[in-house]
Order: sequence, then C-alpha cells, then structure tokens
Amino acid sequence: MVRHDVVVVGAGLAGMRAAIEASRYGADVGVVSKLHPTRSHSGAAEGGINAALGNAGEDDPQQHTFFTVKGSDYLGDQDAIAVMCEEGPGDIYELEHMGAIFSRTEDGRIAQRPFGAGGAPRTCYAADITGHVLLHVLYEQLVKSGVTVYEEWFALDLVTDGERCVGVTAWDLVRGGVQGVEASAVIMATGGLGRMYRGTTNAYACTGDGMSMAWRAGVPLKDMEFMQFHPTTLKSNGVLITEGARGEGGYLRNSEGERFMFNYAPNAGELASRDVVSRSEQTEIDEGRGVDGCVLLDLTHLGAKRINERLHGSRELAMDYAGVDPIEEPIPVRPGSHYHMGGIDTDVWGHTLMPGLYAAGECACVSVHGANRLGGNSLLETVVFGRRTGAAAAQDVRRNGTGGVFSPSAAGIAERSIGRLLDKNDGERPHVLRQELADAMYDNAGIFRTAEGLEACKAKVEELRERYERGVVVQDKGRDFNTDLIQAIELGSMLEMADCLVTGAIARTESRGAHSRLDYPERDDEAWLRHTLAFYDEGQVRLDYRPVTITEYEPAVRSY
Amino acid sequence: MQVTLKIERYNPESDESRQETFTVDVVEEATLLDVLDVIKDEVDGSLTYRKSCRMAVCGSCGMRMDGAAVLACKTPMRPVVEAGEVPVISPMGNLPVLKDLVVDMEPFWAKFRAIKPYLDDGGEEPPVKEWRIQQEELDRVMTEALCIQCGCCVSECNSMEADPDFLGPAALAKAARFVNDVRDRGGKSRLEIYNGPHGVWDCTRCYFCNQRCPKGVHPRDAIAKVGAAIYQEGMHSDGGARHAKVFVKSTHQTGYLLETHLVPETVGAVNAIKEIPFALRLARAGKVPNPLKPHKAKKLDEVRKLNKLIESQEQATLEAANAGPTRPPADPAQAKESE
Repeated sequence: MVRHDVVVVGAGLAGMRAAIEASRYGADVGVVSKLHPTRSHSGAAEGGINAALGNAGEDDPQQHTFFTVKGSDYLGDQDAIAVMCEEGPGDIYELEHMGAIFSRTEDGRIAQRPFGAGGAPRTCYAADITGHVLLHVLYEQLVKSGVTVYEEWFALDLVTDGERCVGVTAWDLVRGGVQGVEASAVIMATGGLGRMYRGTTNAYACTGDGMSMAWRAGVPLKDMEFMQFHPTTLKSNGVLITEGARGEGGYLRNSEGERFMFNYAPNAGELASRDVVSRSEQTEIDEGRGVDGCVLLDLTHLGAKRINERLHGSRELAMDYAGVDPIEEPIPVRPGSHYHMGGIDTDVWGHTLMPGLYAAGECACVSVHGANRLGGNSLLETVVFGRRTGAAAAQDVRRNGTGGVFSPSAAGIAERSIGRLLDKNDGERPHVLRQELADAMYDNAGIFRTAEGLEACKAKVEELRERYERGVVVQDKGRDFNTDLIQAIELGSMLEMADCLVTGAIARTESRGAHSRLDYPERDDEAWLRHTLAFYDEGQVRLDYRPVTITEYEPAVRSY
Repeated sequence: MQVTLKIERYNPESDESRQETFTVDVVEEATLLDVLDVIKDEVDGSLTYRKSCRMAVCGSCGMRMDGAAVLACKTPMRPVVEAGEVPVISPMGNLPVLKDLVVDMEPFWAKFRAIKPYLDDGGEEPPVKEWRIQQEELDRVMTEALCIQCGCCVSECNSMEADPDFLGPAALAKAARFVNDVRDRGGKSRLEIYNGPHGVWDCTRCYFCNQRCPKGVHPRDAIAKVGAAIYQEGMHSDGGARHAKVFVKSTHQTGYLLETHLVPETVGAVNAIKEIPFALRLARAGKVPNPLKPHKAKKLDEVRKLNKLIESQEQATLEAANAGPTRPPADPAQAKESE
C-alpha cells in the first residue's frame, strides 16, 4: 500500500506533463505505469505539434481554432479548442526551454510546416521524431522533479468510496501481487485503444485500459464511435509514415500514377483532413485503382537531401518494414486505425464527473478533436491538458484535503479476481478472441460503416465478451513478470471499449468526420450535433447525449 | 516460412534455466518479435519478453540473437531462415535477468539518473519565446537525441563487463547530448561527473556499442565528444585523461608506446613507485625495454602520418554521425563475421 496526494496512471506525454505540473504545485505525486515512461506510445508520434507561433507565415490562435473546429466537423467544443489553441504557443516555448530539439528556420526560430487541413504552416517538429524527442524531454524533467514512478505496475481498477475516487489497485508486474495505491486525486493518462483493430499504427500497449477502468466505475465515456484512420500506414504491420511526408510535399498516387486526391479535395489535395484522405484512398482501392491493397506515397521528387534531413525516420521505417527506400521508389501505404477521438468525458481542467478523478491525453475527451482530429493536435492536447489537469488536481487536493477512505479490502478483491484468472485451466486462449475482435472491428467498424455491418460487429463483440466471461486460459501460472496475465486483462478492456465504440456508432445515423455511414452519408446537425455519452449499466452500454459547445463558429459545409 | 529458434529460458520462481527450441510458421516479413509473439500465442504463453511499439522507437525489446544485442522488432527473420540458421535468443548482457528474455533495467536507469540527464539552465530566466539557435548547432546533438534507451549498447559493453560501475555507453551518449547543447549551462560541474571514476576514460574503445546500436547513435563517438569537451575545459587531472595523453605523445615522439613513461605520467611519480615491484617482475620476464635507450620507430614520419590520418578520420566519423540513417546489417551471419 502506497499513498500520494496525486496519482497519475500512465506515463506518456499527458501523464508525465500532468505529474510534473502537480509536483510544481507542491503535491506529492506518484506515477503508476504499465510501461517504463520512455516506452510509451507518445514516442511514436512523428510529424509534429501544432501551435500558432507564426514562424513560417501569418498565423494566430484564432485561425488555429477555426481550422480545428472545422476539422472536427463541428463536433469539437469550441471553448475547449480555443483554450488549446491560445495556450499552445506557451507550451511549445516551455518544451523548448526544457531542452526539446525543434527543427529551426534560417533565422534560428522553431520551424513550422503545413499539415493536413490546418490552413497555415503551423506544425512544429523535430525532424520526423517529434514524439520521441518530447517524450524523452518530459522524462528528463520527470527525473529532475523527483516524482516517484511505479514502473511496470499495471493499474487494474479505480477504487472509490461510493462517491469519490480514492485511488487505484495495480498489479506489480515485476514481483507479482496487487498493490493498493491511495490518492486524493487520480489522473488517468493511459492513452488510446487502437489495438482492437487489425492493422493499427498503435503499439501493443494501446488497449484502452484506463477508459475501461473509468467506465466500469460509472464515469461516462464521450464520443467513443470516432476512430481516426491515418492515410499513410505500411501494409505489412500498420507502422505509421508521418503526415509530414505530405507536408513536405509528398504525393499520393493510384495504380495509374494519378495524384487522385484532387478528385476528392480540389483545393487541399494530399493535405485534406485525415478522414477525407483515408476515405479517398479506400475508394481508389475499392474501385480497382490500388496497388496490392495500397496506394502509393511518392516522395522521390523531394530528393535525397530533403528526405534525409526532414524524413529520415520515415525512410528508415519504410526500409525496415516495407523493404522500400523512398528516395528511390514510392512507398505502398493504406489507411490504418490510428487515433481515438473519444474517451473519458472531461472539462477543460481534466475534471470528470467523479470527484477526485481526472483524465488527460488520448484516453480523455475534452473534446478538442470532435469527429476528426487534425494532425499535430494530439501532441498539443497532451501538453496543454496534461499541464492543466496536473495543476487542477494539485490545487483541488490543497483546497479540499485528502478526500475519502480507501477500503483495505480493495486489494484483496483484486487479488482474488486475478487468482481466478490464473487458476483457470480450460477454455480459449486470449489471442483467439483478440484476433476475432480485431478482424470484426476492421471489417465492420472501419473507414466506411453501415447499420448491417455495425450490428454484425456488435453481435460479434457481445459473443466475444461472453466467451471472455466464461474464462480464458492464462498459460503462465507464475506471479513474476507474467505478461500472459496482463495480455488477458488487456483483452477484457478492449472488449468493453469495443462495445462502447460500436454501440455509439450504431446509434449515430449520420456521417460526421471519421464516422462515415454509407447508409447515412450526410451530416445531420439537427439530430446529431451532440456528444455521445456511454455509461456502464450492469455490464452493458447505455447511451445518453449532450449538446456541443458552440461559441463562435456556426456549423458550415465542410469541404477541402 | 518456418522459423526455428533456440531460446534461453529462466524461471525466477523455480530458479531453473534451460534452452528450449521452438519451430513455428510465420509470414515472410516476420521480425524476431513477430516470431516470439506466435510462439507465445500458439505454443507457450509463459514465454516472457518486453514489447510495445514494434517500430523500433520505444526501446522495449532489446535482446540477444546469437550473442549480439538486437531490437527484436527491427530484426527481419527471412535472411536468417534463408541462411539456414537456427539462432540462439537470449537476454541482453550486463544486466540481471528477471525472467526469460526480460532483464532488470534498474541498474541501467540508475546510471541514466547519475549523469544529470536534463538541461541545466543555470537558473537563468529563459527568453519569452524560443532560444534563437541555428539548425547546425542543434545538429551537433541530433545523433545522440536518436537514442531510445533500449540498452543494446550496454548489453555489449566490454568495459562494463569488467567494471559494472562504468557509466556506460547509453548514459554517456545522453551526457554528450547535453554537453553539446548550446542551451546547457552545466559547464565544468557537468563534465566533472563524466571525468570522474567510472566515467568516459573507462571506455576501452572496442566500438561494440557503435556496432550494435539499432538507432545509429554511435555511443563510442559520443563518449569521444564528451572526452574532447573535458580536454577543452583543461580538465586533465584524471588518470584516464593523462593516460590518453601519454599514448598520443609517445607515439608522436617515438612511433612506439613508451611503457616506462606510461605509468609515471598517468598515475604520477609518487604512485608509480608503488608499481616498482610489478615493474621488476616484468623486467625479470624480459618485458621491459631499456628506459635509458628508448626504441624509436624506423619510419617515424609514417607513424605521424598515421596519427594525422586517424585525426581526420575521427573528424569524418563525427560528421558522418550527423548524416542520415544507417542500416545495421540485415544478415546476422555477416554481422557476426565482422565482429
């Protein structure tokens, strides 16, 4: 049993930024993470981080706000988007002062390049390893801050006293055994859930654990049906090739060599928003103009020098995982599940509806991305809202004292449930269910959706949840470093989150942003300009809705 | 394609070690990590290793293939299969094994923490906006900034095998990342950490770290950069620095290494007296040249030319380290030969 004022679950960019800020406010902070912080998936972000610095041309936070609202297909809350865009530049400068190595302009300022649907060159970058650079900088600062990190502790459940969150239980992966982690404030920063899809860009760790913990504790999840498909991922294993490749001038071509994007987005072409580009690519592939299930990302005209300077990481990935040197030939790419816009419902300070529980980063939904996130906005969200949430949690603790009572039985309950999982000797292996889930989600809850497909998917998810409940077999019976056990628990999270996602998608009978219904091809503001809330109801998903906050920009036709 | 691996297993609860052979069918483009995943899913769920990003950026899956550290996710298996190899997969070296292919990284991170792994702003108020820095200035630390802290270099470090307290290639590459950052105000106090015992001078220059780094960080070159910064600061007091100095001096003067000068000039005359019994034993074995008649290379100017060449090559290596990505050999058989 350990205790801290503020406990952060997850140690990617949002989690570490929250921990650092809470610590600055004088809180005693602990970080619980299933991975060592530098192993977090934030490090895989490549292209950059948006902020209206105006270093590469005229820009201001209002423009950034407008293009983010438009990109969200008007589902993003405009007050939250304005906060992010106005505070963004300050956070970028702070990262730079911490030591982040941003690429530079001729006159020594932070360089910025255009990203899809941004309207201006606004994406700051460190070559094409921006996430890696920022993740390591924040880890450096975390070490400096002296915050306690419980590495390779896998959070199991939120602990509540019936009213407020008072901590979490966690499985100590290294030594085995459940640990109680008591806290006056718990910040969830556990990242996304892309692993429930076949061919995702996401790491193996992106299994929606934090969202499912909150959901089971009765906290609503918002806009879960919105899953972004990134237009340029490698065929073999879904590895991401940055949007920066198109930002630097890369072309998308079909099997006939045509730059087809101008048929779909006459003005923006390759730099339309991600939902638009992914749908266009899939249409080209479906209509027989693909190349072996892919389209071609052509960088050859950029030349070796530019590719080596600005896109060397992407070149390395293409060489390693596609056997293609982009200096010499185009890279075959296809859309792949990449980023989940939905998550734990929060306000602009990370508060959830449960006192003592906060969330930030991809596992949260503020909402700043609405129905479709702009490239470069997710890293920004992690630092802006990570910082705000850390500050809010620390200040709330100082104001309200230590909070509720952490029941000593919590760890015992968790220990027994893990014991049951370890004792089970007959049943299915988790990977069988995991594979069936990933196929069902990709086939039926992907880029294009229909009622028929989604209903089939819901039935499949329900079947898989039943099979999971009957018990899966963990073959590793030991307690030390049992990754077989962790993977089985992660599967449970993914199944629950898949249910929330699909249930929301069935109900939303319109097309908006990344949620594209072939049977309802139009956006329907009358009925659907509202957030979906998914509640836990005796194991099932109950939906409710909430209006979108519109301050300045009335919903308009969205074209690129 | 069918892959066979021999995997070193260790169960901490029974304290049993064994080597186990697995044969599985995998797709043509499978990496070592993909093969391990198939084994874990379909054959033995208790096989234990770390993984996460599967795209060579998170640094989780460092392990050894045939005794050389690799990132499992960056190691394609087809060349291995085509060469008819049955590789042995084992945990990384120089770190305690926790279970199967998982090592305890805490000693690794303890060294990371020891080198003051963050920018030292010297308490100065930063500018309102960003520091104005030229791209070329940042490029000086970009190579070290590629490091993902996977531990492959540490696994292969010969010096650390002899001295487990050696800060080692990963931590010292991180050090170089700050030493050469124009924003850092750490100065001498930072360099003192690296100049001390178990610091840069413990490196034996075997270059295994450069060879095994999966990200092109070139840790040995980074250590050289830190050593150079220490030299430039005039911090020659450490035995390691003096040792290096005598090497250069004596090859320059005579074309040979003057062993009789090496010890006194490295450890000082007083301390050298303590080594007299050792020197006498060496003399009895006929291993000490006449100190009064130092041998001199016949073609001294050629040795000096060599010195010059090495200097210019070192410069070129540093420059190359700042260029684009390099690819470690895809063929492990080839990699082994070159070792």
